[in-house]
Amino acid sequence: MADIPEHLLKRAQAAREKAETEQPVDEQPSSEPAETDTAVAVVEEEVIDVDEKAEKTLNKIIEGLGEKVLSSHIAPNRGLWIRVSSENWRQTAQFLHDELDCTFFDWLSVIDWMPSPYGRELDTEQDIEPEQDSTEPEQMEWGYTGGDTRFQLICRVYSISNGIGIMVKADLDNQSPRALSLIPIYPGANWHEREAREMFGVTFDEHPDLRNIYLPGDFEGHPLRKDYPLLSRRMKPWPGIVDVEAMPGEDK
Amino acid sequence: MSITTENEQLAYIASQAADARVNVEVETDEGMTLNLGPQHPATHGTLRIIAKLDGEKVVAAEPIMGYMHRGYEKLTEVRTYPQVTTLINRIDWLGSFANEVPFILAAEQLMEVEAPPRAQWIRTILFELSRIANVCLFLGDMAVQVGATTPVFYAFRDREFVLNQIERVTGGRFHPNFDRIGGLKDDLPKGWIEETRGALDRMKSFCDEMEELVLGNEIFQARTRNIGVIPGDVALSYGLSGANLRASGVDWDIRRDANVGLVYDQVDWKVWTHPDGDSFARFWVRLQETREACNIIEQLLGSIPSGPIMAKVPRIIKVPEGEAYVATENPLGEMGYYVVSKGDLTPFRVKIRSASFSNMSITPWILKDVFVPDIISILASLYFILGDIDR
Amino acid sequence: MGLVESGKMPKSLTKLLNMSRRYSMWVYQWGLACCAIEMGAAFASPRYDVMRLGVIPLPASPRQADFLVVSGTVTDKMAPAVRRLWEQMPDPKYVISMGSCANCGGPYWDSYSVTKGVDQIVPVDVYVPGCPPRPEALLEGIVLLQERIMNEDMAERWKGDPIVVE
Ligand code: SF4
Repeated sequence: MADIPEHLLKRAQAAREKAETEQPVDEQPSSEPAETDTAVAVVEEEVIDVDEKAEKTLNKIIEGLGEKVLSSHIAPNRGLWIRVSSENWRQTAQFLHDELDCTFFDWLSVIDWMPSPYGRELDTEQDIEPEQDSTEPEQMEWGYTGGDTRFQLICRVYSISNGIGIMVKADLDNQSPRALSLIPIYPGANWHEREAREMFGVTFDEHPDLRNIYLPGDFEGHPLRKDYPLLSRRMKPWPGIVDVEAMPGEDK
Repeated sequence: MSITTENEQLAYIASQAADARVNVEVETDEGMTLNLGPQHPATHGTLRIIAKLDGEKVVAAEPIMGYMHRGYEKLTEVRTYPQVTTLINRIDWLGSFANEVPFILAAEQLMEVEAPPRAQWIRTILFELSRIANVCLFLGDMAVQVGATTPVFYAFRDREFVLNQIERVTGGRFHPNFDRIGGLKDDLPKGWIEETRGALDRMKSFCDEMEELVLGNEIFQARTRNIGVIPGDVALSYGLSGANLRASGVDWDIRRDANVGLVYDQVDWKVWTHPDGDSFARFWVRLQETREACNIIEQLLGSIPSGPIMAKVPRIIKVPEGEAYVATENPLGEMGYYVVSKGDLTPFRVKIRSASFSNMSITPWILKDVFVPDIISILASLYFILGDIDR
Repeated sequence: MGLVESGKMPKSLTKLLNMSRRYSMWVYQWGLACCAIEMGAAFASPRYDVMRLGVIPLPASPRQADFLVVSGTVTDKMAPAVRRLWEQMPDPKYVISMGSCANCGGPYWDSYSVTKGVDQIVPVDVYVPGCPPRPEALLEGIVLLQERIMNEDMAERWKGDPIVVE
C-alpha cells in the first residue's frame, strides 16, 4: 500500500476542517415555521447568493403544510430540501403535486445513514474484519435537514411551470421501514419503489406489486444497506488503494 | 399454485421468469403468453418482455429487467471520486462522456470549484458529440425495428467519424473517462477543430439522408404514426424526460431551463417539440436534435476561449460534507446524480437517476391494447439502453 | 463421424475438414453490454467487415451457430440463460469471451450481482481483453480462433488451454 504524502494529507485535513466549520449547522426539527425561516436566512447570510425562487417556494410550502414540515434547507441555486414525517409522506406529495404544480416525478430513493461497519472498504486490512462491533454503532450523522432514524426516504419532484425541483425527505422506522406508496399521485413511482424495496427493504403500503425488479428471486439481503458486505472484496485485495501516482518528472 | 385470474398468471410467470430458468410459453383458454427476450434482437440488449395476448392484441405486458444490473450505486460507495467516473462511464454506453458530466458537476458543487471557461466549452462540445454518437445509432436502429435493414449500416458508418473525433481527444472510443473534478484531463489536439467540422458536415448529410430514407417512407409512417401515443401529462407523471417528453409536446429541456455548468447559454439554438406524442414524433424530435447538436457544436467550435483547462484542486480529492443533485440533459433524457458526501475519499451514497429507467417505467401502460408488431416499434421509439435501465 | 472421435482420421482429410470449417463459421452474438456495441461495429459496420474472414454474423438461432461471442457483463441473473443458449448450439462449438467483464468481471469485480467471468459457466476458447476491446481486437480474436480450428485434432478438442489475445 502506497503511503499518502504527509503534506497532502495535511492539506486535505485542513480543507476538510475548513469546510466543516463553514458548513451551516443543521437546524433542529422545529414545529414553528417562523424559526425555520430565520434558519434559512442564516444560511443565506453566509453565501452571497440569494435564491429567491427557492425561498418563495419554501414559504409557500410552509404556508400550506404548516407544522408538517419538520425542517428545511436551501442551498442557493442548488436545491431545496424539506423533511416531513413518514405519516405525511403521501400528503406532502399530494400537496406539492396539486398546489405547487410539481407534476414531473423525478426519482425516489432511500439513504441509509448508518456508517458502514466495514470501514470504507478501501484498505485490505479493514476488509477482513468489521471495524468495530456492530452492537455499538457509530454515531449517525445526517445531511441537510437532519434526521432521526437510519433510513431516510428521499424523493425529488419538479415543477416545470415554476422551474424548481423540491427534494422531500422522510424518516422511516428503524425496525420496519414503511411508507405509503406514491403511485396514486405519480404512477411513475412504481418502479422506483420496487427498487427501494429491493435495495433497502423498505415496504410501501398499497403498492400493487413489490416484486424484485433487478435481482433474481432467490437473492438474499438488501444490497444497498450499509451493513451488506461486498464479499468479493474480502477474497481479493483492492488493487487501487491510494489514488496517488507520481507525475512524470516528480519524485515520489 | 392455482391460477385463476389473469393477473395471478402474469405474476406467476414473472416470478418464474425472473430466475431465467424457464422459458415461458403458457397457453390458456383466454389467450397466449408471448415471451420476448432476454436475448432478442428487438430488445437491443437483455430486456425481457412478457406479453399476454388475445389474438394479435396485447392484453398486458410486463418488462423484466435486471439482466444487466451491475450494482453501480453500491460500487460507488467503495470507489474514490476519480475512480467513480471510470465506473459511471459505462451506464449509458453509447454516450459515455455525458454520463460523467453530471457527477463531476455535483462533486464540483460540493467542493465549490468551477472549471475554467475553456474546460466548460470543451465539455459542452464533447457532451454534444456524445449525443450525436448516441442518437445516431437510434436513428439507424429504429428503422431496423420497423423493417428497414439498410439505415443501421449507414448509422454505424457515419458514427465512426464522430467516434474518431472523440477518440482523438479522449483516447477512448466510447469510455473516455476524460472529465475531472475542476476541469478536463487534456487539451484539444492540434487540428481537431477543423476535423470536427468535417465530421459534423458528414453527420448533417447523414441526417438529411435519414430524413429522405426513413422519415418520408410510407411504410415507416404507417408503422409509427398514431402508434404508442403518450399524452404530455402522463409522460410527466411517469417521469419521462428528454426527447420522449418533448415528443409529447412538453417544452422542457434541462439544457435551456435548468442548465448547470455547461455553456448552452452562449449559443443560439432551439428546443424541438412535437405535439403528437407517437412513435413518429419521438423519431422526428431525435432527428432534429441531432441536427441541433451539430449546430451547437459548430457555434461553440468557433468561440472556444483560451486559458487553462484545469482549476486548482487538491491532489487527493476529498469532497466536503453535503448533498447535491445535478442533472443534465443526456442523449436519453435527464440523467442526474444525487451525491451525499461525508467528507471522505469516497462518496457516502450516490443515487443515480438514469433516464431510461423512468422512460421504460411507462411500458406496462403504453403496451396495453397495442398489436404485437407495435411492441417492437414502440420500444424502439422510447429508446432505452439497458445499462441505463438496470445500472 | 465415428472416425473423428476415435482419432483415426487421415491427416490430410482432417486438414481439409478443418480448413473448410475455419472459413465458414456462423457466429451467434450474445451482446450483453457496452462491448456489444463494439461487436456490433465489428459485425455490422462496413468499416470492419467481418465477412471477409469467412464469418457470417446474425444467424437466426443459436442452433445454427458454430461459435458464440459473449460480449459484456454476465450477471448472475443472466448466467443460466447464457449456459442454456450455449447448450443449444451444435457441436463442435467455440466460445469467444469479449471484454474484461466477460473475462473476469472487469470493473465490476467486486459487485454483488456480476458473475466473475463467463468461463465459470461455459468453456472459453479465446479471451479478448479490453474495456471495450476495439473491433480490431475482436477480429484478431476470431483469427486466432480460426488458427486454433485449423490446427485442431478433433479428438483432442477441449484439452488445450485457452488462447489469450495479446
Ligand atoms: S468490458 Fe468494459 S466495455 Fe465491455 S461490457 Fe464490460 S464494462 Fe462494458
